[in-house]
Amino acid sequence: MSIMEHNGGSVIAMAGKDCVAIASDLRLGAGAMTVAMNFEKIFPVSDRIYLGLTGLATDITTLRDRFRYLVNMFTIKESRTIEPSTFAHLVSSTLYSRRFGPYFTEPVIAGLERTPSGGLKPYIAGADLIGCLNFAEDFIVAGTASDKLFGVAEGLWEPNLGPEDLFETISQTLLNSVDRDAYSGWGAIVYVITPEKVITRTLKGRMD
Amino acid sequence: MNSLVRQFLITDADRETERSSELTNEDRPSDALWGSQAGFGHLVEGHAFNIPAVPDPSAFLRLHTDDHADPNCKIKIQHGTTTLAFRFQGGVIVAVDSRATAGSYIASGTVKKVIEINPYLLGTMAGGAADCQYWETYLGIQCRLHELRNRERISVAAASKYLSNLVYSYKGMGLSMGTMICGWDKTGPTIFYVDSDGSRLKGDLFSVGSGSTFAYGVLDQGYRWDMTDEEAQELGRRSIYAAGHRDAFSGNTCNLYHVKEDGWKFIGNYDITKLHYDGPGAVPGAPGGGYGYDVRTDSRFSTLSEPVAA
Amino acid sequence: MPDMSAIVNPQQRQFNPYAENGGTILAIAGADFTVIAGDTRQSEGYSIQTRYAPKVFRLTDRAVLAVNGFAADGNMFVKKVKQRLEWYRHAHAKDMPLRAIARLIQTMLYAQRFFPYYVYNILGGIEEDGTGAVYSFDPVGSYERETCRAAGAAQSLVQPFLDNQIYFKNQTAAQGSPHPAHLPLPDVLSIVIDSFTSATERHIEVGDGLEMYIVLARGRTLPDAVAGLRPQELPSAGGEKVFVLKRDLKKD
Repeated sequence: MSIMEHNGGSVIAMAGKDCVAIASDLRLGAGAMTVAMNFEKIFPVSDRIYLGLTGLATDITTLRDRFRYLVNMFTIKESRTIEPSTFAHLVSSTLYSRRFGPYFTEPVIAGLERTPSGGLKPYIAGADLIGCLNFAEDFIVAGTASDKLFGVAEGLWEPNLGPEDLFETISQTLLNSVDRDAYSGWGAIVYVITPEKVITRTLKGRMD
Repeated sequence: MNSLVRQFLITDADRETERSSELTNEDRPSDALWGSQAGFGHLVEGHAFNIPAVPDPSAFLRLHTDDHADPNCKIKIQHGTTTLAFRFQGGVIVAVDSRATAGSYIASGTVKKVIEINPYLLGTMAGGAADCQYWETYLGIQCRLHELRNRERISVAAASKYLSNLVYSYKGMGLSMGTMICGWDKTGPTIFYVDSDGSRLKGDLFSVGSGSTFAYGVLDQGYRWDMTDEEAQELGRRSIYAAGHRDAFSGNTCNLYHVKEDGWKFIGNYDITKLHYDGPGAVPGAPGGGYGYDVRTDSRFSTLSEPVAA
Repeated sequence: MPDMSAIVNPQQRQFNPYAENGGTILAIAGADFTVIAGDTRQSEGYSIQTRYAPKVFRLTDRAVLAVNGFAADGNMFVKKVKQRLEWYRHAHAKDMPLRAIARLIQTMLYAQRFFPYYVYNILGGIEEDGTGAVYSFDPVGSYERETCRAAGAAQSLVQPFLDNQIYFKNQTAAQGSPHPAHLPLPDVLSIVIDSFTSATERHIEVGDGLEMYIVLARGRTLPDAVAGLRPQELPSAGGEKVFVLKRDLKKD
């Protein structure tokens, strides 16, 4: 049994027009047995950055706390909020610092990046468990349903989706993917980040 | 004389051809393949299964098919299941899930895990899907031949023993089956558990598969001999739901059968997620409402009456 | 001088008659037609052996078989199925019905239970009652009739997409207009093409070419939208019709 599959779970992030979305399932398992259906894997980093963590649950919790500490230190020292691209490199270096005894998680980052002209543009990124960053223009997937997520997202996603269409696309992608994965599912949660607000919705998913 | 000469004239090529046809033993199509033997011709004619030409054929098979030993092996045989059957005053209830998994991938959510051997006999499917499908179809043929030869239906004991002896003859070759043969005969409602190790057990209540522990939990708690038909069907349905909910390798839908004196009857197919949120609907025996814990306890679980000071 | 290390350290060798040749196949049944499709890339590891190796084969006027897995086993298996169907024609002076072909394939696969063909089969065609049908098999012969099925290297990418687009899974129908049980042929073809372009994009073993077989029930004709794509019609005895539609896929 692979350590990355022991607790199960999946995360996906998608870029839209002036908005990004990130979503995860809610399962926490112990091998084949489902022990919780309210285990959230996505955490706010700032009011326009969200971090999703898949993989080993204990490392998800540890890293969530560690990144909260690191981002707080950054905010205090720099007297400004962290940008998504800066945070992505913080994630990368934190994971690489454990190059030979890694945290067993694959992170997904979604946020809105401040441009030099003062606007906000969609930013999504992913990394492997030792911090190799992946900057994609379209979507980032991670977790036990990643292959399924790749297939469905490739079929459903299109450029320049508005917040509501992006919500529908990411929800359909996640729900249909986790329904073909034994280790993910049991409910889902979606965050759509727009310049004005963050829309949070929990989805009624299959419970088997 | 001629044949004597030939004996000494055999070339290496001839010998090689002969050897290879012995090994593959499929170059001579038997008459059985032509006529109707329901596709089981190779068994009727005494043709055995084709075996790889290696010193240890079962180790060869295990190397290439067993996904427990090696998750990366190529040929994935589908596993993961919850099946149950129990005897009670009103007959036998048989309930199964419908999920097939290959590794973590859910290969199918619509598998028929109850095999209708004949109008009086049901077999359940756990382990190798092909092993169960194939041998229980074959069992159906043998049961029909028994009826024609003896002018009387085969007993559940005899049918299950036929299957048990058959799989025992392949013991150690890699068959994988855990099945319950359920039916009603002269002795009344009967269940036999038969598996590919050679076990054959008579009993009142069985559950087989990766989700069986979850099903047993509900089943043992609610089981009584004197249940009504509706109560018994509800217990079967509720037990499969529990397994589908908690076991990653079980789920999708529940197929429910009831065996009575006049044969088995298909009761229904129930979506497990629908059972979670809405329950089985206006079905006799069901309390109404969803089975799900969060659905039943929605905003009714304990909360602190006074907020804790920070 | 003999190689001493081979004597000091025992070496173990194993007989491995199997390979994995990649590719993906898929079949979707409609009310009165079936589409069976497969890509044409054949690979081993990171190498492409050929960009055109068909994986989909016509068996009869109303049955098409797609095979995926180990190409050598697949080709031999198709050859043997065709041989058995030929014998059936000689014995009964008619083509074997689809559901009988499905059972034949089960017994032929199971006959190799202890030395399996490493092949995933999908059989598509028209049933005797004129409905479209898809049968999918595992390597040792367990089978099931379905409406749609993807198999092979990219099955996990394609199948959840099909669940969503064919079965309308996780979609709530608008009040008073339930989801259709079967989609029309033009819709099915565009879903098949989308599935393969998606799989080509995200899976290295899928690509090069796409072959789609269309089996039409007795007395049906191609819709104009599909006839405009100029599919090639294969010769048949009348009754059911079989067409092939080819498309290029990315070659990188």
